[in-house]
Amino acid sequence: MTESFPFPRRTPVRLTFGLGMLLLGIFGFVPAIGVLIASFTDLRGLPGLPINFVGVQNYIDFFSPAKWADSANALRNTIIFAVVSTAVQIVVALAIAVLLNRKLRGRDFYRAVVFMPTILGVTVTGLVWSLIFNVSGGPAASLLDLFGGRSAFFGDPNLALSLVILVQVWMVLGVSVIIFLSGLQAVPEELYEAAEIDGASGWQRFRSVTVPLLAPSITANVLLGIVNALQSYQLIYVLSGPNNRSTQVLSLLVYVQGFGGASGTTLSQSQGYAAAVSMVQFVLVAIVSILALAILRRREAKL
Amino acid sequence: MSTTTSTDTGASTAAAVEPRPQPSGTRRPAEERRRRRRMPIGAYICALILMVVFLFPLLYLLNTALKSQAEFVANPVGLVSDPQWGNFATAWEKGDFGAYILNSVLYTAAGSAIGTLLTLVLAFPVARGYIRGAKYWSVVFVLVLFLPNALITQFQLLLRLGLYDTQLGYILLVGVGVGVGPLLLSGFVKSIPRELDEAAAMDGVGYWRYLFTFILPLARPALVTVFILQAVWIWNEIILATVLLADPTKFPVTVGLYAFKGTYGNQWPLLAAATFIVAAPLIVGYIFIQRYLVNGVVGAVKG
Repeated sequence: MTESFPFPRRTPVRLTFGLGMLLLGIFGFVPAIGVLIASFTDLRGLPGLPINFVGVQNYIDFFSPAKWADSANALRNTIIFAVVSTAVQIVVALAIAVLLNRKLRGRDFYRAVVFMPTILGVTVTGLVWSLIFNVSGGPAASLLDLFGGRSAFFGDPNLALSLVILVQVWMVLGVSVIIFLSGLQAVPEELYEAAEIDGASGWQRFRSVTVPLLAPSITANVLLGIVNALQSYQLIYVLSGPNNRSTQVLSLLVYVQGFGGASGTTLSQSQGYAAAVSMVQFVLVAIVSILALAILRRREAKL
Repeated sequence: MSTTTSTDTGASTAAAVEPRPQPSGTRRPAEERRRRRRMPIGAYICALILMVVFLFPLLYLLNTALKSQAEFVANPVGLVSDPQWGNFATAWEKGDFGAYILNSVLYTAAGSAIGTLLTLVLAFPVARGYIRGAKYWSVVFVLVLFLPNALITQFQLLLRLGLYDTQLGYILLVGVGVGVGPLLLSGFVKSIPRELDEAAAMDGVGYWRYLFTFILPLARPALVTVFILQAVWIWNEIILATVLLADPTKFPVTVGLYAFKGTYGNQWPLLAAATFIVAAPLIVGYIFIQRYLVNGVVGAVKG
C-alpha cells in the first residue's frame, strides 16, 4: 500500500499523523491504560501519598460480601437502564422516523423539535423533568391526584429508575430518529409502489420493505445506543443525584468512590477501587456489545 | 435477547403510526387510495401528540418561571396570572450565567475543533494507506470507541501534568474524545477517488495543501457530523468538568446550573427562570442552525 504514495515528500504526512497520534496517545490512551494499572493499586485522590500494588484485591473487594450489595445493585441498574432505554428508544425512534418521513406539512419543524432536547443538554433536561415530577404539586403529581394516586417519583425506589429511563429516551430520541430518517431516504420509492400493487398492507410494507432495508441503521442505532447507555451517567446525576441507590449505575459508583460524595462506604476516595469498578464496567460493555453485534448480524443475515 | 425482540415490538408501534392498513385481499379503487393518501389525518394527530410531548415541558418551564414564589406555592400547575418578568433578572444576577455559557461555548468550540482536526489528520492517511501499518492504525480507531471509563486516571494525568483546574487541560481531554469520528471519516474518504490525489500531486500540490484545500471541503459533510457529535457530547458533559475543574469561574453551564439548583432548589420559579435563561439562547441558536444541523447529520450518516 505504502509504495503508491503520490506526493513528493512523506515528511508532512508523518509529522501531522505523528503529532495527532501523540496527542491522542497522551490524553486518550494513557488514561485508558492507566485505569487498568491503577485498578491493581491503592491509589488515593491526593497527590504525594505512596502508591502500593495490591494485586487483585480491589476486584476481590468488589465481589466480596461486604460490597456485593452495592456492586450488584449498580450492575443491575446499569444493565436495566442500558437495555430498556435502548430498546424503547429504537422502537419509538423508528415509529417517529416512519411518521416524519411522510410528506406532512410542517415536517421540517417536527423533525427540528424532536432533535431539540439533544441541544438543550442534560442539565436543562434534568431540571425541566424534575419540575414536571415535582412531588408537591407538579403536573405529574396533579395528574395522579385526579385519580387519587400519590407518588414520590424520583424518591420512590421502585419508580426512580423507570422515570430516569423515560427522560433519557426523551432526551436522546432525536439522534436515533435522524439516523433512521437518513436510512429511510435510501429506500427507493418504487419498492413501496411495487409492494402496494402486490396488495401489501401498510403493516406488510413496513415489515417486509422498511425493516429489512433499515437493518444497517437499526444495527448502528442499537450498538450506539447500548454502548452510550452503559456508560452514560450525566442525566442520572442531574435527576436523582450520585448517591441515590435505586438509580446508581457503575459510572456513578466510579465517581462516588473516586471523588468522595457522601457515600457511606469506608473506602471513600479510594481511586484504586474506583478504577477496578471502571474495568468491571469496561468488561460489561465489551460483552454486551459483542452479544448485540452477534445477534443483530444473525438477524440481518436472516432478513 | 431483548435486542432481538425489540425490533418486533418496534414494528408494531410503528404500525400504529403508519397509515391505517388497508384490509388485505380487497383491492380498493386507485382513486380512493389516492384520496386517503392526500388526507393523512391519523398522521397529523400523531405529529400533534409528538409535539405536545416535546414542547409541553418547555412551555411549562416558562409558565413556572413567570410565577412569583407565592403564586407557585398556592397554585403550582395553573396558568400564570401575574407574570413576574423580574425573575429572569434576579436569576441572571444570582447565577452569573453569562460567564458559564461563554465557558461552555469555549470548551465546546475548541474541543470539537481539536477533535475534528485530529480526525482529519489521522483518518485520511490511514484510509489511503499513506502511513506504514495502516491496517493496525484502523484497529486503533475501533479501540478508541471501547476505551474504559478513565475518570480516575484523567484526573491523575492532569494533576501530574500541572493541568488540573485549567481550561487548557479540560479542553485537551474533551478534545481527544473523538469517538466514532476517525472511523466515520475513513469510510467517507474511500468515496473520494484516489486519482484525485495523484492528479493533485502531479500538479505539484503538497500533502498539507491537498489535505486542507481539497479533502477538507470534499469531506465536509462527514467532518460536520464528526464536529456535531463531539460538540453535543462536550456541551452535555457535567461529571468530567466537576472532577477536572475546581474554580467556579471556569465551570461550564451544565455545572453552573446544577450548582444553582443546589442553592435555590426550593425556589422553583427562580430555578425555572435560570433554566430558561440557559435554554433560551440554545433554542434561538438552534432555530437558526437546525436546518443545517439536522440535514448535515442526515447527509453525513448517509455517507
